[in-house]
Amino acid sequence: MSELPELSDEERSRYAWQMWTPDIGEEGQRRLKAASVLVSRLGGVGGTVAYYLAAAGVGKLVLAHAGNVKPSDLNRQLLMTTNWLGNPRIESATRRLKELNPHTEIVPVAENISSENADRLVSQVDLVVDAAPLFSERYAMNEACVRSRKPLVESAMYDFSAQLTTIIPGRTPCLSCIYPDDPANWKREFPVFGAVSGTVASLAAVEVIKLVTGVGTPLTGQMLWMNLREMDNRKLPIERRSDCPVCGSVDAEPSTDSNLG
Amino acid sequence: MATVFIPTSLRSLSGGVRSIQANASNVREVIDHLEEHFPGMRDRLCENGELRKGIAVAVDSRVCSHGLLEKISPDSEVHFVPGVSGG
Repeated sequence: MSELPELSDEERSRYAWQMWTPDIGEEGQRRLKAASVLVSRLGGVGGTVAYYLAAAGVGKLVLAHAGNVKPSDLNRQLLMTTNWLGNPRIESATRRLKELNPHTEIVPVAENISSENADRLVSQVDLVVDAAPLFSERYAMNEACVRSRKPLVESAMYDFSAQLTTIIPGRTPCLSCIYPDDPANWKREFPVFGAVSGTVASLAAVEVIKLVTGVGTPLTGQMLWMNLREMDNRKLPIERRSDCPVCGSVDAEPSTDSNLG
Repeated sequence: MATVFIPTSLRSLSGGVRSIQANASNVREVIDHLEEHFPGMRDRLCENGELRKGIAVAVDSRVCSHGLLEKISPDSEVHFVPGVSGG
């Protein structure tokens, strides 16, 4: 990010309250404007991540989500609207985000992540947020991020529990280090309140803001494990596996002046 | 004795019990103890004599890589952390 884009007066006004945050200021906001983020799926987690990143002024969002809006989406997927039932989710999400912030470039992709498209989509951005409901999608994204050395914010939930970690390939454990294989009995449909998916989504968006601006300490090498039933939240240190088939042979690259790697 | 916390997704087997005390020296013995009190728990946590790959175990707040052989102290806290993917 050697040449950061300038802010217009309208943008300075829009982002004034967050630019008051110590260590953010105009340079931090310009870093956000220069940033590009891929969000995998726009459900209860990913949709809320995208909403907060657009609100924060991230310059470009590449959004991947297939399918049409269903009634059962509407308890948590805040980018989907009742009047768009039966129509493509990606269109509803794009419209809602452009209504919120016309400055953010939206690149809509009406596909879910797979091993066929992951590398192509990851190549278009600086970093990735994974919020997909299937482990096959998450593993494909994890592998693509490790191959391209792009940071990956892993955000997931079930019931009243949530997990969050930030993966820096070559420096931190990857998803396959933590879970070498998907859990037995995982089902595509899962119990979820929007307030729970939105909680972990908000934290994932914070991780992105920290990575892009260089402010704060990203949640690397640790998993935030949240039990919202009892409000018992812990940070569990996690370690790389030397025998990890995905990242075991990947070395760290030199650090830069931001948290992006 | 170690305190073993039962994840939400397995509490249907424990009748809603959230934690249990176990006299164990490693994770395998913890699971034996759980199975004794809550039949069916072992199958949910283990496969082919190993910890299932979709479940992590944290001993004293550190996710461990030694699986069933991870050592447990008398005052340890043990958490099983199933992978979740809800988005």
